[in-house]
Amino acid sequence: MNRRILTTAALLVAAVAATSSAQQHDTTMPAMPPGMPMPGSPGKADTASRRAPPDSMNMPGMSSNSMPMPIPMPKGMVMMPGLVGLTPPGGTFLPGGGADPASVPQVRPRQILRVKDGDTLDLSATLVRRTVAGRPYIMYGFNGEVPGPLLRVPQNATITVRFHNRIDLPSSIHWHGVRLDNRYDGVPGVTQQAVAPGDSFVYRVHFPDAGVYWYHPHVREDIEQALGLFGNMIVDSPDSSYYSPANQEQVLVFDDLLVNADTLIPYGKKGPDFALMGRVGNLLLVNGEPRYTLDAHRGDVVRFYLTNAASSRTYNISFGGAPIKVLASDVSRFEHEQRVPSVVLAPAERYIVEVRFEHPGRYPLVNAVQAINHFRGEFEAESDTLGMIDVDSSAAAPDYAAAFDALRDNAAVTRDIDRYRPYFDKPPDKRLTLTMHGSGLPLATVQFMNVDTAYYAPVEWVDGMPDMNWLSTSEQVRWILRDDATGKENMDIDWHVKQGSVVKLELYNDPKSFHPMQHPIHLHGQRMLVVARNGVRTKNLVWKDTVLIPVGSTVDVLIDASNPGDWMLHCHIAEHLGSGMMTVLHVDRATPP
Amino acid sequence: MIGRLRALAALAALVAATGPDVGPYDIPLYATPTAPTAKGSARLVFHESPFGVAVTADGHARYDAQITASGLPAPSSLGAYRAYVAWAVSSDLSRWQRLGVVTNGKSTVGTVAMNKFLLVIEAERDSAVATHGGPSVLHGSSPSTFLQIFQAHTAFFHGVTD
Repeated sequence: MNRRILTTAALLVAAVAATSSAQQHDTTMPAMPPGMPMPGSPGKADTASRRAPPDSMNMPGMSSNSMPMPIPMPKGMVMMPGLVGLTPPGGTFLPGGGADPASVPQVRPRQILRVKDGDTLDLSATLVRRTVAGRPYIMYGFNGEVPGPLLRVPQNATITVRFHNRIDLPSSIHWHGVRLDNRYDGVPGVTQQAVAPGDSFVYRVHFPDAGVYWYHPHVREDIEQALGLFGNMIVDSPDSSYYSPANQEQVLVFDDLLVNADTLIPYGKKGPDFALMGRVGNLLLVNGEPRYTLDAHRGDVVRFYLTNAASSRTYNISFGGAPIKVLASDVSRFEHEQRVPSVVLAPAERYIVEVRFEHPGRYPLVNAVQAINHFRGEFEAESDTLGMIDVDSSAAAPDYAAAFDALRDNAAVTRDIDRYRPYFDKPPDKRLTLTMHGSGLPLATVQFMNVDTAYYAPVEWVDGMPDMNWLSTSEQVRWILRDDATGKENMDIDWHVKQGSVVKLELYNDPKSFHPMQHPIHLHGQRMLVVARNGVRTKNLVWKDTVLIPVGSTVDVLIDASNPGDWMLHCHIAEHLGSGMMTVLHVDRATPP
Repeated sequence: MIGRLRALAALAALVAATGPDVGPYDIPLYATPTAPTAKGSARLVFHESPFGVAVTADGHARYDAQITASGLPAPSSLGAYRAYVAWAVSSDLSRWQRLGVVTNGKSTVGTVAMNKFLLVIEAERDSAVATHGGPSVLHGSSPSTFLQIFQAHTAFFHGVTD
C-alpha cells in the first residue's frame, strides 16, 4: 500500500512537472531498443492535423458536431477535458510519404504457395492500396497480398526465402513459433541487422513441428504488422490422421485497424503511440477484410487454423453456437482434444479447431467480450460479427459426425511431454515480474489511472479509454520485464542457459503497476509448456510459444531449451514491445560447433 | 499549483487507501452478526480451459470459487439448519446461483460467470437446497464491484480546484 502511494505521488509530481510548463512535451527520444529502429524519413504526416483545437469541445468532455474527436471514442463516451488539445509527442507516420493511394497497386488476396523441401521463394514487403470502409489507404503487404502468401510446407522441410524490403521502413521477417536456426530468426539487433528499404536478406527456414505458424516483421510491428505485413505457414505432418478428419480447411487471421471517420489514425514516428495498452482497432478484420464468408454443407466439419495478428486485442471467437473442438495450439496438438464454448486468442497465439455445422442456416463468426465502461463503472457486452458461414441443406460428404463427436487422446504428445514431467515441480530458475514505469504522462492520465486501478480486469478485451492510450508513447511509458533475483530489467537481464536444459520460468503480472493489463509473452525459437497458473496445475498440456499472462497471475512455464542461440522473450503487444518489454534468452551450445 | 498537487495526491491516496489491497481474484469475506466468530476469504480461479483464461461464449469470465472459512459454528446452533451453502448473487440481488457446500477449512465450490457478484454463505436446512433461505453468515463482493463510476469524479469534468 505504501509503495502504491509513493508511486502515485512520484507520478503526480512527474506529471505536474510535465504538464504545468506546457501541454506539449519535450520529445527527447530515448535510444530505441534492439529490433525497434525508428521509422525512416520517407514517411511524413502532419502532426498539427491531429491536434484537436481546445474550442472543439463545447462543454467539458463533449465534442461539438462540427469538430470530430481526434481519436474514436467508445459509443457514449467522451474525451477527458484534461486531454483535449493534446497530441502524442514524437510526430506521426503513415506509409507512402503522402503519395496518392491511386499510385499504389491494389492489394491482392492471399495466394497459397505449396513449397517442398529445398524450394526457394521470394517474399517482398511492398506498398499496397487497400480500401477499408470505402476509403483507399496506403498500407503494406507481402508480395502485394494481405495476408501474405500462405506457405503450405511439409514437416521437416527446409526452404530458402529471399526477402526484399520494398517499403519505406527498415524491416525483417520473423518466423513466429518456428524452431529454426537462430541466424534466421529475423530480429534486428539480436540476430541480424534490419533490412533497409531497397535491400534484401536471405532466410533459411526449417520446419520441425507440424501446425500453424506465422511470419511478420520484427521492426516496428506497431506499424508494419498492423498495416498488413503478416502471413501464415501451415506445416503438414506426414501422418494423414494427424488431426481428425474435416470436410474443408480455413485459415483465418484476425487483426484490427483504428480509423476515424475518413482517416487511418497515424502512427508514432519516433516510437509507438498507444503505449499504455496497445492500439486496439475499431475495424475488426478477418484475412484483411471486414466481412469473412464461407459456404458449407449441412453436417460439414470445418477445420479452422486461427491466428491473432492484432497488435493488442485478445479475441473470444465463436461460430454461432456450432460446437467447437480444439485440437492444437502454437507448436503442437493438445494431449487431449477438448470441447470449448469459444476460442480465446491472445495476440500471436494460434489455435486449430474444428467446428461442425449440423443444420442448414447462417452461422455468424463472432467476437464477443465483456467490455468495461469506465465512466459508468459497468461491464457491457460487446459483440462483433466478423463474418458469416452459410450452410446449405445438402448433406456433408463424407459425413464426419462420428469422428467429430469423438475426443481423441494424442498419445504421442503425452509421451513427448512425459520426458519433462519430472521438472514440473522444480523451483523456478528465473522469475520475471511484468510491470511498467511511466514518466511525463499527461496529468489527466495520471489522475485517471490512479482511480481506474481500484479494479483491474484480468484481461482487458477492449480499449475503454482510447484518448488516454493514444496520448501515451514509448517516450513516456516503459514496459518492463524485471528479473526478481537481480533487479535487472529488459535487455539488461543477462540470462544464459545451457542447450538441452529444461528451464522453469515464472512470470508474474504485477497487479499494482501503474497500468495493470494482460501480456501475451512470446519466446522465440523454443517451445514451452504452461505447467501451472496461480499454482493450479494445467490438466491438458500443449507446446506453446506464446502465453497470455492475465493481471495478477503467476504462470509457470517449462522451456525446452534445445535450440541454441540468442532468443527474444517479449510481450507481443506491439506497443509494449516497442516500449521496451523484451529480453534475450541465451541458449549456449552444449558443445561448440 | 501546490494546492492542486495536494488535492491530487489526496485523491490518489484516498483511492489507494480505500480500494481493495488484494488481487483481482481475491474476495475478503465478512461475518454477519449471526455468526460473529466466522472468518473467511475466497479466491477466484479460472475454470479449467485450454486457453488459460476461461470465458463463456459471450465473454463472461468463468471462475471456480475456492472458499476458506474458519470459526463457522455448527449450523444447527443457528436453528433448523444442517449445512452452509455458498451462493453467487447478482449485484442487483435478483439472481442467486448455488455454488456448493462450505465447511470450515478450504472448500472448492461451483463455477461462477457473472461480471459483478456478491458471494454469500448461508446456513441452509440441508446441503442440497436449490434455493437460498437461511441466515447469511459470511459475505463479500467480487473484485469487479470496485469498478468505479468515474462520471461522478469532479476531477475529470470540472478540474481540480485549490
